[in-house]
Amino acid sequence: MAAVGAGVAVEVGALPPARPWYTDVWVRMLRRKPLGTIGAAIVLVMLLGAVFADVLTPYGFAQTNLRERFVTTSTEHWLGTDQLGRDLLTRILYGARISLYVGFGAVTLGSLLATALGISSAYWGGRVDLLLQRVVDAWMAFPGLLILMSILSLLGPSVFNITLVLGIAFGIQNSRIVRGVALSIKENTYIEGTRALGSGHARVTLVHILPNVFPTIIVVATTGLSTVILTEASLSFLGLGVPPPYPTWGGMLSLAGLDHMYRAPWLAIWPAVALSLAVFGFNMLGDALRDLLDPRLKGG
Amino acid sequence: MKQYVLRRLALAVPTLVLVSVIVFSLMRFMPGDVVTRMVEGHAYAPTVDALRTELGLDRPAYVQYLDWVSGIVLRGDFGSSYWTRQPILDEFVRRFPVTLELAALTILVSVVIGILVGIVSAVRQDTISDYVGRVFAILALSIPYFGLAVLVVVLPAIYFKWTPVWTYVSFTTSPLENLKIMIVPALVFGVTRAGPIMRIMRSALLEVMRQDYIRTAWSKGLPERAIVLRHALKNAMIPVVTLIGLQTPLYIGGSVIIEAIFRLPGVGLFFFESLTRLDYPVVQSVNLIIAAMVVGLNLAIDLTYAFLDPRIRYR
Repeated sequence: MAAVGAGVAVEVGALPPARPWYTDVWVRMLRRKPLGTIGAAIVLVMLLGAVFADVLTPYGFAQTNLRERFVTTSTEHWLGTDQLGRDLLTRILYGARISLYVGFGAVTLGSLLATALGISSAYWGGRVDLLLQRVVDAWMAFPGLLILMSILSLLGPSVFNITLVLGIAFGIQNSRIVRGVALSIKENTYIEGTRALGSGHARVTLVHILPNVFPTIIVVATTGLSTVILTEASLSFLGLGVPPPYPTWGGMLSLAGLDHMYRAPWLAIWPAVALSLAVFGFNMLGDALRDLLDPRLKGG
Repeated sequence: MKQYVLRRLALAVPTLVLVSVIVFSLMRFMPGDVVTRMVEGHAYAPTVDALRTELGLDRPAYVQYLDWVSGIVLRGDFGSSYWTRQPILDEFVRRFPVTLELAALTILVSVVIGILVGIVSAVRQDTISDYVGRVFAILALSIPYFGLAVLVVVLPAIYFKWTPVWTYVSFTTSPLENLKIMIVPALVFGVTRAGPIMRIMRSALLEVMRQDYIRTAWSKGLPERAIVLRHALKNAMIPVVTLIGLQTPLYIGGSVIIEAIFRLPGVGLFFFESLTRLDYPVVQSVNLIIAAMVVGLNLAIDLTYAFLDPRIRYR
C-alpha cells in the first residue's frame, strides 16, 4: 500500500513514508480532511462518554428524584432533569452507549454477512449468484423502515433483537457493493495464476480476494454507522427499538414524552442535538475515510 | 424500448413473489398471538378456537398463503383487517392520497431547495455562497427529520403560542386549509432530505461544467445563465433523478413517523396502528403493495433516463 502514500510524499519532497496503510489514513486525514478530523473527534468524545458513563456522572440512568423534577440547567444537573427528576446528561451519556452498542454491533455483524454473501455470490457466480441476487432484489424492494418495524414488532423490542435485525438488513443491502468489488478482483490474472498453482476455493477467496475487498468493507461500515444509529433512533422513537428503562436518544424524543416537552423543551432539544452530532460525526468520518481509502465509491 | 419495458416487468414478477413469501412467513412463523388478545381483551368470539376457524387460521400455512395470493391476483382482494373486518384495499385507497400528497410536497420541497442551492454552490464554487450552501447540506444531513419534527411541534408552541393544525382536512374539502396543514410536515421532512440532493447536484454540475461541449458553449459567447440552465443542467440531472428514486423508500418509511407526529390519517399511520394491534393481514398486504410500488417506480425512473440522456440504449 506504499503507493497510496505517494501523493503526500511528493508534496513534502521526501521518500514515501513507511507507514502501514491503517496509520497512513489517519495522518492524511489530519493533514487534508478538516471535516473528517472534526468528525473523528466527535466520535472519539462520544466513545469516551459512552465507555466512562459510570465514572463521569454521579447519577444512575434510571435514578429518580421527585424533589428535583423539571430542573433547568444547574451545577448539579448540567442539562437539567426530566419529569421523574432523572439527570438528562446522564441519560444522554448512557444513550450514547446504547447507540454505539447497537451501531457497532449491527455494523460488525452486517459487514461479516455482506462480505460472506458478496464474495460467495461473486466467486461462485452462475446459479448461486442469480439466486442470491434475486433475494437481495426482493429485500431491497421493501421500504426499509416498514419491514424493520414489522419484524421488530414480532420479535419484541430488545437491544439484542434490534442489533440482530439491523445487522442482517445492513448485510443484505451492502452485499451488493462487496459483490461488485469481488467480481472485478476475481478477473485479475493473479487469481488465475494462484488457481493454476493449485489453490483451493478457501485459499483463493480468503487469502487472495478478501484482503483486497477489505478497504471497501471498512468504507461501507463507517459510512453505514450513521445510518444504522439513525435507524435505531427511529425505531426506538416508535417504541419498537430498545425498551425502557434503558435511555435511548430516539426513545427520549418519542411522542410519549410530548406533554412533558411542552413544559421542559430541553427534554426534546438535548437528545436531538446529541443525535445530530453523532450522525454528523460519523458522516464526516465516513466520507473522509471513503475518499482516502476507496475513491471509487465516491458519490455512491 | 417496448421489449425492454416488457422484460423489466417480467423480471419484477419473481421479485414480488419472493416479497410476498417473505412477508407472509414473517407474519406466520413468529411469536405474538393476536387471536388470544382479541378473544381475552375484546371478546371477539367465545373461544380462541372459534375465532381461529372464523379467520381461517386453522388451515395449513401454505393454504393460507395461496388463498391470500390468489385473492390478490384473481380478484384484487388483499384480504380484510382482523379487527374491523374491513377490506384492506379500500382503507388503503382511502388513505393513500394523504401519503401521496405528503410525499409529493416533500419531494417538491427537497428538490427545489436541493437543486437551487446545488446550482448556486457549483456555479459559485469556493465562494461564500458555496460554503454557506455546503454547510447547509451538512446540517440537513445530520439533523434527523423526526427530531426536527418534534422540535417544530414543541418549541413554537412554547415561545410563539403556535401549534400545527391537528385536525386533518382533505384536499377536496378545502384545498387551502389542507395545504396549510400539509406544508409544515412537508417542509420539515423536505428540508432534511434536501442535503443529499444538494450535494449530488453540486458535484454532478461541476463535472458537467468541465466538459468540452460546455467550453464550446462559452466560446460561442453564450451567457452564463443559458449555459448552466439550458446546456449543463439537463445532463447533470441524471444522478439527481437516480438519487430521488433511491430515496423513495425513505420517503415512504419516513411518512410513518411524520404522519404519527403530525396526526395525518395516511397509509403510514394505518400501517403503524395495524402493527401495534398485530393486525397481520394489513401489515403483510401494505408491505406488499408498497413493495410493488417501489418496483414500479424504479422502472419508471430507468425510463426517465432515456428522456434525460438519449445516449442510454436498451437491449
